[in-house]
Amino acid sequence: MTPVPEILVVDDNPGDVNLVRESLTGTFYESRVHTVSDVTSALEYLNREGKYKTTVRPDLVILDLKLSMPSGHSFLAKLKSEPELRSIPVVVFSSSKATADITRSYELGANSYVSKPADLKRFFSAVRAIEEFWFGYASLPLRENDERSHYSHAAD
Amino acid sequence: MASAETCKPGHKSRFLILQEDEPGKDPLVQEVAYDGSLSPGQPVRNPEKLQHWLSSNHLCPCEPRQYAERELAHKLEELARSNLELEQFAYVASHDLREPLRMVATYTQLLAERYRGKLDKNADQYIEYATDGALRMQALIQDLLALSRVGRESASSQPVDCNCIIAEVVRDLEPAISESEAVIQCGTLPTVRAHPTEMRRLFQNLIGNALKFRGKERSVVRVQAALEGGYWCFSVTDNGIGIAAECQAGIFKIFERLHTRAEYPGNGIGLAICQKIVEQYEGRIWVESRPGSGATFRFTLPARGAESLESQA
Repeated sequence: MTPVPEILVVDDNPGDVNLVRESLTGTFYESRVHTVSDVTSALEYLNREGKYKTTVRPDLVILDLKLSMPSGHSFLAKLKSEPELRSIPVVVFSSSKATADITRSYELGANSYVSKPADLKRFFSAVRAIEEFWFGYASLPLRENDERSHYSHAAD
Repeated sequence: MASAETCKPGHKSRFLILQEDEPGKDPLVQEVAYDGSLSPGQPVRNPEKLQHWLSSNHLCPCEPRQYAERELAHKLEELARSNLELEQFAYVASHDLREPLRMVATYTQLLAERYRGKLDKNADQYIEYATDGALRMQALIQDLLALSRVGRESASSQPVDCNCIIAEVVRDLEPAISESEAVIQCGTLPTVRAHPTEMRRLFQNLIGNALKFRGKERSVVRVQAALEGGYWCFSVTDNGIGIAAECQAGIFKIFERLHTRAEYPGNGIGLAICQKIVEQYEGRIWVESRPGSGATFRFTLPARGAESLESQA
């Protein structure tokens, strides 16, 4: 049986977190969305420390850049430099369209960069497209203690 | 003439010392006020005493000309800094304002989507006003950003063939041109030193306006250029509705509009962007028009460092 996709959303704006949840409600993949609002909690979550001891390692991280310090970029750098975590794909999902932010994200190892659309419908479809791509088309690394190789069966 | 000026940065009073080295004449001391005006010269009977006073106050003598040049450089520096600050303000403000505004816009849209017809008639109307306002403000901020980006092109200016630019602009405006069956007539244009994207935006805004503010007749837009006193003088002439004389000065101001949004869409940013582009190349832009008989927008760009029409021919 294909496990339910686990997504970790790192975003300190409750409005956006809610929009991401709304976007992913009732979709084919039924992803489980977890949220943290700062880098420290995000790293604890991924390393399963503190109050996150029982969490599942996420299949995908959706990362906002404009977090209270430390920034999303520094989280990205940290995640991509840790051998245990670097295989987790990270989609940067930021309102910034600045070339500097985009370039920096890819340099630090982001797996894609999506600007948060200002229009509601486009926002919904962007988040759904992210889910669709990563869990419908892309092949993902093995989750530990996990039989599946990737999720693409889900779309078959 | 031998003369000296002294001033101390940040010191309240500044002094000019004149005729210091002229034999047989006492030095004159003039006080320079804040506004730059000079007090009547006071002769100094005891130059040694003056020198002593100057050095004990850490004042250094210099030439009046140097003084004036330094003042000018200082003022220019101040102006450049304040311009830069203003631009940075516009840039940062428009960037940072976008984020909360996006929240307002998306959530009013969500409200509209989820609750339309479920509350009372007034509520639907209010939500519509709020959504509309948020979307319009997003467009304004987008425009403000576009304006503050003029001159921030990372590439340096290069020779730009305006004929190619016009061809691109006409291609981009094709839907509007064919919709109104407009005719674009273009003379031979020169090559100027500029940023291609900015030249494209300049012509796009001017020709776009000519098409937008068309009259009852089929619109004809003429683009020409002539060399006048070291400058290329470009003109974009249309046969549209024209602009009253008393409105002509205002149209280059940001967000200034002569018509309601219902009559003609737009935020009133196009000509402000045109003006900023032209002025950063030390050119000038203006309009000649009468209501009902079309408008001619003219702008100048320095002809130096670019090929002339003649040499292209």
